[in-house]
Amino acid sequence: MIPYLLSRIFRWSTGLLLVAFVSYAMMFYGAGDPIKRMFMDMEQGGVELDEQALAALRTKFGLDRSFPEQFAGYLGNLVQGDWGMSIRERRPVWDMIKARLPISMQIGLVATLLSVLIGIPAGIFAALNHNRWVDQAIVGSGVFINAIPIFVTAPILLLFLVVGLGIMNVPFGWKGLFHTQVILPMIILALGPLPTIIRQTRAALLEVMSQDYIRTARAKGLTRRLIISRHMLRLVLIPVATSVGLILISLVNGALFIELIFSIPGFGKLTIQGVQQVDYPVIMATVIIGALIVMVGNMLIDLVYPLLDPRITRS
Amino acid sequence: MVDVRSLWADAWRRLLKNRLAVAGMVVIGIFLFLALFGRLLTPYDFLAQDLANQLQPPSAAHWLGTDALGRDILSRLLYGARTAAIVAFTTTGISLFLGILIGTTAGFLGGRIDNFLMWLTDVTMSIPGLLMAMLINTALKRPIVGWFDQLYMQTKNPFFLNTLWLDFVLVFGALALISWPGYARLLRGQVLSISGTTYVESARAIGASTMRIMWRHIVPNSMGPLIVAVTAGMGGAIVLESSLSFLGVGIQPPNASWGSMLSESLTMWRTFPHLMVTPAVTIGLILVAFTFFGDGLNDALNPRQTD
Repeated sequence: MIPYLLSRIFRWSTGLLLVAFVSYAMMFYGAGDPIKRMFMDMEQGGVELDEQALAALRTKFGLDRSFPEQFAGYLGNLVQGDWGMSIRERRPVWDMIKARLPISMQIGLVATLLSVLIGIPAGIFAALNHNRWVDQAIVGSGVFINAIPIFVTAPILLLFLVVGLGIMNVPFGWKGLFHTQVILPMIILALGPLPTIIRQTRAALLEVMSQDYIRTARAKGLTRRLIISRHMLRLVLIPVATSVGLILISLVNGALFIELIFSIPGFGKLTIQGVQQVDYPVIMATVIIGALIVMVGNMLIDLVYPLLDPRITRS
Repeated sequence: MVDVRSLWADAWRRLLKNRLAVAGMVVIGIFLFLALFGRLLTPYDFLAQDLANQLQPPSAAHWLGTDALGRDILSRLLYGARTAAIVAFTTTGISLFLGILIGTTAGFLGGRIDNFLMWLTDVTMSIPGLLMAMLINTALKRPIVGWFDQLYMQTKNPFFLNTLWLDFVLVFGALALISWPGYARLLRGQVLSISGTTYVESARAIGASTMRIMWRHIVPNSMGPLIVAVTAGMGGAIVLESSLSFLGVGIQPPNASWGSMLSESLTMWRTFPHLMVTPAVTIGLILVAFTFFGDGLNDALNPRQTD
């Protein structure tokens, strides 16, 4: 048990290290001189820049050191919670993230809940009515939701609700979690993981239904309700839990679109801003944090997996 | 006359029985045809601005209307089909190559190399792909611009001054680097399961080399799942390209991409909804077609796997 846990933790923490390394290397070789970049606007404005002063700045920020030294320094700072300074905004990247990430987390959390609360019952309902029209309708809408990306669904829904039905104004901006404006973004975000949850629940239940012990339970005269609640539902949570990585990825990716479309000042908007302004410390921080969210999710599931499904231990 | 039934003919027959798959195939066929010949079918250039006819609704002259710069939307849509097709084929090709290389290496060599490569695959799969693609796209831009400049200096070939191609190179690189893990996992699984079969064992017993076993046995027998994965991968590449362009990092203006057409429309969709509906419906239609076709292919090529 202990070696299994340790190997999982090692696997995901080295993975995170790899992401940090790749992002840093990309910035190091791709971005060019950050000092030049800082004063680019002034230089374009016709101001003569003093090379000696620039070199002094480089030494001050440690930019004249070798790649391994600088990367080690960056990692050391990360461990202490220092994500560097934004080039464009001239303030700590962590301050920007601290202001933005909670907004996306709140929306993401509610969207996940919504997705689970709709997805699991829908999956169960489809499996119990296997191959009947209800099943086909649920599976079919899952296929459609899965095939059409959020940035197509959102504008079409907006058009339908605002211009077509005229029942709402355009939701714009962030006024807290309990404002009616976040309802539409949340629903649209919840559509991302929904097909995965439905599919996994349905497949798991169909597999359980064909097991011998269910037949035994039916043979000894248990009611349908008891068979479902006692024997089947326990096993449904396992496949949903194992697809937590996929769910988190679709939430992080979805945040980019809904925050752009609905002007929500969250983590996704920060990422897009960073990319538009070519602000490397911001882009790196968002990539590393995005990967951190998904990998910690994966790791936690790996760690609790033996508890959920005792059959899979010690291998 | 003997009725010859090959494996592929059987699969083809099964595919044709699936109505949704056939519908998907027809839509994909039209899409590819328009991507290739679309420019010949429209009288307008996709870049030609007509400032006297801005934001026109659909009419006889402009079947789908014009955009904020008076450009014909149908022509831009057709050019966007070309963009999507180029990106779909190229990135799928590159990531398939990477995936086959990594997956077969892991499956054949096993041991530590397998462990390392599968760790790399898992890690790549758990990075939110769009974030990484945006980082790669931004980071590669400067070096590639510099590289193109140098190539122009050396060759004096005006091709290297053409920045329209630059966006494509960046998108290919970014998308291929995030989409190989699926193919790698598939190929590794195929290598492991096919290596255990008796026909591979007998081939090995009569002295066939690893390369021969690879090309004569493993690759042909993996074709079914691989074709299905490639179809899904092309749909995936189209989503990723339009996502990147929608977020403003992929194919840049003046090039036309469905994703950027959609994001350009976001500022004025209330007054000019046709600007938004046309690219949105096109993207949705193509992706649903790819899903239906892929599912149909899966049922036809891998009949043993049933739901």
